[in-house]
Amino acid sequence: MSLRRSVLTLSILGLCACFAAPVAAADGGTLGFVVREWYIALHESKFMDECPEGLTMGNDEIWWRSAPKDFRAKVTDNGLARSSIRYYEVMDRGKNGEDVCLNPTSIVDPPLRVVEGKIGYGHNIDGTQDGHATAKTCKHDKFQSPDGKKTDIDNQMARLVGCSFGWRKTGMIQLNGNEVRATSGYGMVLMEVTGVNEKDPRNSDNVTVTFYRSIDQFAMDSAGQPLPFSTYRIDTLDGKPRYSDSLKGKITNGVLTTERGDVRLPAYDNFNFGHPTIKDMAVTLEIAADGSAGKGMVSGYYDVEEFWYLTAGVGQVLQTGQFSCPAMYVAAHKLADGYPDPKTGECTHLSVGYNVKAYAAFVQHPDKERRQATR
Amino acid sequence: MRRKFKDLPLRGVVLATALAVLTACGPKEPASEGGTPDLRRLTEEQYRNTIADVFGPTITYGGRFDPLQRTDGLIALGARTARVTPSGFEQYYALADSISAQVVDEAHRETLVACKPASATAADDACAQAFFGEIGRVLYRRPLTDGEIKTAVTAAHEVGTTTGDFYQGLAYGLAGMMTTPKFLFVVDATEPDPDHQGQVRLTSYAHASRLSFLLWNSAPDDMLLTAAEKGELYSKSGLEKQIERMVASPKVEGGVRAFFTDFLDLRKFETLQKDPVIYPAFNAKTGEDAKEQILRTITDHVATRDLDYRDLFTTRRTFLTPALARIYKVPAGRPDGGWTDYEFPDKDLRGGLLSQIGFLAVNAHPGRSSPTIRGRAIRETLLCQKVPDPPGNVDFSLFNDPDSPNKTARQRLTTHATNPTCAGCHKITDPIGLGLENFDGVGSLRMAENGEAIDPAGDLDGVAFKDPAGLAKAMRKSPAAPTCLVNRLYAYALGRPIETSDKDTVAYFQQVFARDGYRVPQLLRRIAGSDAFFKVRPPKADAATQAATNDSAPKENPS
Repeated sequence: MSLRRSVLTLSILGLCACFAAPVAAADGGTLGFVVREWYIALHESKFMDECPEGLTMGNDEIWWRSAPKDFRAKVTDNGLARSSIRYYEVMDRGKNGEDVCLNPTSIVDPPLRVVEGKIGYGHNIDGTQDGHATAKTCKHDKFQSPDGKKTDIDNQMARLVGCSFGWRKTGMIQLNGNEVRATSGYGMVLMEVTGVNEKDPRNSDNVTVTFYRSIDQFAMDSAGQPLPFSTYRIDTLDGKPRYSDSLKGKITNGVLTTERGDVRLPAYDNFNFGHPTIKDMAVTLEIAADGSAGKGMVSGYYDVEEFWYLTAGVGQVLQTGQFSCPAMYVAAHKLADGYPDPKTGECTHLSVGYNVKAYAAFVQHPDKERRQATR
Repeated sequence: MRRKFKDLPLRGVVLATALAVLTACGPKEPASEGGTPDLRRLTEEQYRNTIADVFGPTITYGGRFDPLQRTDGLIALGARTARVTPSGFEQYYALADSISAQVVDEAHRETLVACKPASATAADDACAQAFFGEIGRVLYRRPLTDGEIKTAVTAAHEVGTTTGDFYQGLAYGLAGMMTTPKFLFVVDATEPDPDHQGQVRLTSYAHASRLSFLLWNSAPDDMLLTAAEKGELYSKSGLEKQIERMVASPKVEGGVRAFFTDFLDLRKFETLQKDPVIYPAFNAKTGEDAKEQILRTITDHVATRDLDYRDLFTTRRTFLTPALARIYKVPAGRPDGGWTDYEFPDKDLRGGLLSQIGFLAVNAHPGRSSPTIRGRAIRETLLCQKVPDPPGNVDFSLFNDPDSPNKTARQRLTTHATNPTCAGCHKITDPIGLGLENFDGVGSLRMAENGEAIDPAGDLDGVAFKDPAGLAKAMRKSPAAPTCLVNRLYAYALGRPIETSDKDTVAYFQQVFARDGYRVPQLLRRIAGSDAFFKVRPPKADAATQAATNDSAPKENPS
């Protein structure tokens, strides 16, 4: 794969929006992006209409309300004890002292408050208009877009976490996850679009989008924002890319749209690593006129147990999340709408839509790595 | 893989033969009057190179130097009128103190102090004398006089005795040597010319210094000083032997870099700032890389590959770091840092020095491009043409009007130039600078400004072009470009401005530069091997300068 293709096509893509660049068609068309922002797409109204009963109770609140006053006073030393002491008391409230996040079935908490509003973001993943059960899905409710034009949106993950403080805009779970990815360089997703039409790259009928992991950290400006057109090397194992699933797609008027397919991705959320496979994943990405960035949506089905592994393993960040692990675990299974278990018939995956923002990047393949400095 | 010419066997014979044939067939060097002898303060780079050459790279020190004034297009010419200010002297002293302390410390004394004292806790004049004699010869670029050695030994003796530490005494004496004008200033020492009654000539050691600072930007090494001591530099063959040795040395790259740093005024990078909101990809590191990119491109082109100087304006070959690649919007060879070579595609708008970030970013405003500044830089720096300064009361209101319907720099400048006071100079600069408008204030490619297509067409002295690549070709063809290089290099070599009496000599070098295919190393050889390079004439009725010059002059053959 030639890096030079990326150069020319990126230039052309940016420039074609307004003026034809005097750059001749090159030997191939490739675009590259590094994904910077990856948030579950939540609809948060001004007066929290989507959560009519308010935000859900957290582990700490449930413990506080259920513990006798004298016991609370003893544990917290009347408020003088370190919060970490209280944290472990809260988490280890399983019947036999289990951590209720690592073992969410050890007790039963009051039900999780989930999104009850009609409005949401995402794609129609199951292909139905009303969310009825199919061979691959379970019956579920659909969201409609804020403008009401789309009424077939699947996003059960947003329904699950949308009334939990830690997942919303002011919470820390998603924000911190994105920031630690930015500062650590772990779990960085690269997208490479090949087969781009050289003469009209903003309209390419047959492209392939391949997903890699970067081993280079984000190149940032002094304000902490990624610098477009930076170069990133892909992660390899035995000389081959460690992640390299791809999707077919097209670019129409600068908007990249892919077909659906399973994609294994690197994940790093709040100090916890994973490599989930998002089933039936698809991407829409609106590429900026100057080619420097793109923003859009990634949707698909996310394994509930994988979600729980990444969620429960984040440690003390959970303390800021203010949701009950046992309650969320139960709700996750209840809301799961994809991939029914053949034995039980219960769905094992949650539909999800992520808002993503990516920056133009050059994706460097192993054969181009470590070019010898000439001097 | 292509072998370097210097690695080829019999290169000396080939070169000498080639030079002899060229000299025989080509134009003859005209007689030169020469210039008056001068004192030139060491530049910071020369100071650092000298210390590194004498004491090695493990001696580290910071410090700042009094800046030199750029005069007649060169810092090197400002060095001849430079003085040492009180604060500048303090800096020199602090540097000398730091360097001399390291030279005698336990980590370095074994290798840098050749003799061992009888006792490390007492003065040892014999050892000190041997040390100062050896080191002083390289620092002063000539053998020390008996008096000079005695001064240093006495200082070392007194401090060594007082402190009970021989090495402290040695460091004290060394610091003293490094803070004298004899080290800090390069002196055109003269002596009566035995072949021409009533005339003077540079001493053999002054010959060596001229050669060394031109070719290496550093002090003469032991071999060159030895050749000077034997009087070999007065003979054509002896001189050519040294020139070939020096040109073949890796240190010649330092000489080439120093000249082009001066010629292109790359010192501007030290104070270069860009608005981080408008140009987030540009920071201090990018500026350093941009300067280094220019120097790498030049040394690779003119020195390593020995190519036509004029092709520097069109070459697509360059070197990149990740920080630069980001602004060029091309892939970095090594995302983890470091330099890699890169070649812009044939039909790319970018090619040559003028399209490098180093030229484009330096010659622009902090938040936008400037066709006028860029045009002026091309005229003054690369073509040696003078552009008058703008009048003090120039009215920029039309140009800077934020509500102006003018979206592109060309439109704004057209409006601005309706003022007849401004129009004259803008006609000189803008038609060239507008040719680079496809590059923004840091050098990123753009095809539009404020949503309006950029028209980069223009002309350079009657040669029309339609885009930056066309401007590069026009520069490549401009006869003023190589002429300017010769003028500047000759003035740089002499350390003085070119005078009317140099006209024939400069014309000669311009001719041979063209005959040699515009090869810079060959031009360096030609200048270094010329009579004019060493020719001096007595200063006119300037008794004080003459006296100072003679005082500083070494006694030849002090042994």
